[in-house]
Amino acid sequence: MSEEFRPPTRFPRLALKVNAFLLIAVLLVAGFGWIVAHKQGWFVPQTMIRVITPDALGISSGMPVKLFGFTVGSVREMHLVPGGVDVQLAIMSAHMPRIPKGSRARFARESGVIGASVIEIIPGKPINGELYEGEQIEFERSRGISEIVEEFRRQAAPAFAELKNALSQVSRSGEDLGIILGALRVETEQLPATHKALRQFIRNADRATADISRQAGAALESAQRASESIERATPMLAGKLATTLDSVDVAVGQLRQTAAEAQETLRAARPMIDRSESTMRDASEVFSAAKRVWPLSDAFKETPDAMLPIDSFEARKAPAR
Amino acid sequence: MAPLLRTALAAALLCAGCATPPSAPPTPMAARLADANVRAAAAVRAGDHAGAARRYEEALALARSVEDADAIAAGAINLSVVYQWLGRDSEARDALKIVLDDPRRAFPERRRLQAELRRAILELAAGNPAAAGEWAARAERRCERLACELAPVLLNIKSQIALEGGSPGSAALLAQQAADAARSRGDRAEQANALRNLGRARLAGGEHAAAIAALEQALAIDHSLADPRKIHADLVDLARAALAGGDRDAARGYLERAQAVSHAARDPRGADEMEVQLRPK
Repeated sequence: MSEEFRPPTRFPRLALKVNAFLLIAVLLVAGFGWIVAHKQGWFVPQTMIRVITPDALGISSGMPVKLFGFTVGSVREMHLVPGGVDVQLAIMSAHMPRIPKGSRARFARESGVIGASVIEIIPGKPINGELYEGEQIEFERSRGISEIVEEFRRQAAPAFAELKNALSQVSRSGEDLGIILGALRVETEQLPATHKALRQFIRNADRATADISRQAGAALESAQRASESIERATPMLAGKLATTLDSVDVAVGQLRQTAAEAQETLRAARPMIDRSESTMRDASEVFSAAKRVWPLSDAFKETPDAMLPIDSFEARKAPAR
Repeated sequence: MAPLLRTALAAALLCAGCATPPSAPPTPMAARLADANVRAAAAVRAGDHAGAARRYEEALALARSVEDADAIAAGAINLSVVYQWLGRDSEARDALKIVLDDPRRAFPERRRLQAELRRAILELAAGNPAAAGEWAARAERRCERLACELAPVLLNIKSQIALEGGSPGSAALLAQQAADAARSRGDRAEQANALRNLGRARLAGGEHAAAIAALEQALAIDHSLADPRKIHADLVDLARAALAGGDRDAARGYLERAQAVSHAARDPRGADEMEVQLRPK
């Protein structure tokens, strides 16, 4: 007895199923690969530009490149060149018109000192023309914490020196003020005496004027009474004249004394004037220094270019004169 | 230590931290130079052009005494502007020769460019468009090397040269480019100049309505800039455009306004020009 061999029918059309399974697996792998490639921007046209940095600290391949905070590319690769590191930036070609010649790149962090590191593009002027594949742009490093602290220290030192100077000026001015007040007090104490002398002088002058008037009246009467009374009147007139002269003499003495006191007052006031001049000069210097210190320096900034505008309107023909 | 005092000290420290070291004080000569320039600018603002010329001459002498190339060039260019206002055109050219005829001195490129443009302006104002074109071409070559901040001025000059040369089409194109360049730079004075040139070019090309539109835009900008000379020029050009378009009433209205501006600005030359415009041809 011979029976024909029949293959087992437990897995009918097995080869077809296996092939279908393999095909689906291959399609899935390919789809996954396509998604990854799409996400990586392999299908986006990119333009390579270069920057040369003195060191690549903090820069790594794949780091995003941002323009106005918007990711426009990434760091493709880096390699050492004489004088630093050549960093290749892959920029999406669609954004290249926004990065003209004269643009600059800088290393930055998204939130100031901390945050993710990025390469930031600072675009130049559009008039400079378009940037092409492989061209190099300038690179500037942002400051690190240690540099910021060092600059803080450097900037604070002169400010403290200015502050110290100003305080010492104020202190010196306080001493000077004491001396000035002392001199003023002495002068003030002498004022009543001066006042009294002046009043005496005025009184004497009044008296002298009254005497002269009286003498003038007597003289008129004497003239009317004729020459016989002249001899009698003359001694009396002479006596009065002598009194008047004495009064005038006293008044002149008082005047001289007042002038001397005034001179003394001026002499005493002279140092005060000198000191106030010196104080004003010091204050002016402090103010000038303050004007040159931030934040005041911005308010007192001088115009850098004192040019009249170049105006094409001037090219019009002048009317006949 | 009292909390208030601590807070005050902390605030003082913070303020001191923000401070920058004081910049070096200017030298006495630099201070005199700046002072002369400030006085000259004040004289210009006051309309005292003769006084301004004296001050700029003083500034130029001071700059020469310390061989400050940039200040020498700036002084020479300023002098050329003021001399032109005074009608002393030959002296204005001589002032520019200080910069243009001395290749050995290291004047900044920016100053050389400004001087070349000023020379082109002087030549054009004197009725020499060929010479003006040569100087404008020199300025253009230099402008290509620089990121040209004076591009609107250059384009406006070229537009006026083209108009003088009887090419209203080229003039309009150049004026439009100048207007765009000036707008992108925020240079309103040159934008108004460009629109005025555009209006004149359109008028020369027979496009009266387009000319009036451009000139009205120029007039609006010149009103905001408050420059009587330019307002007067806009109104005269508007009157020409209206007259060419056959609207005699509008033309008369523009001319009367121009006359009022001219009288108010005490510019008899403007008034004389007006009388000529009002005469029937």
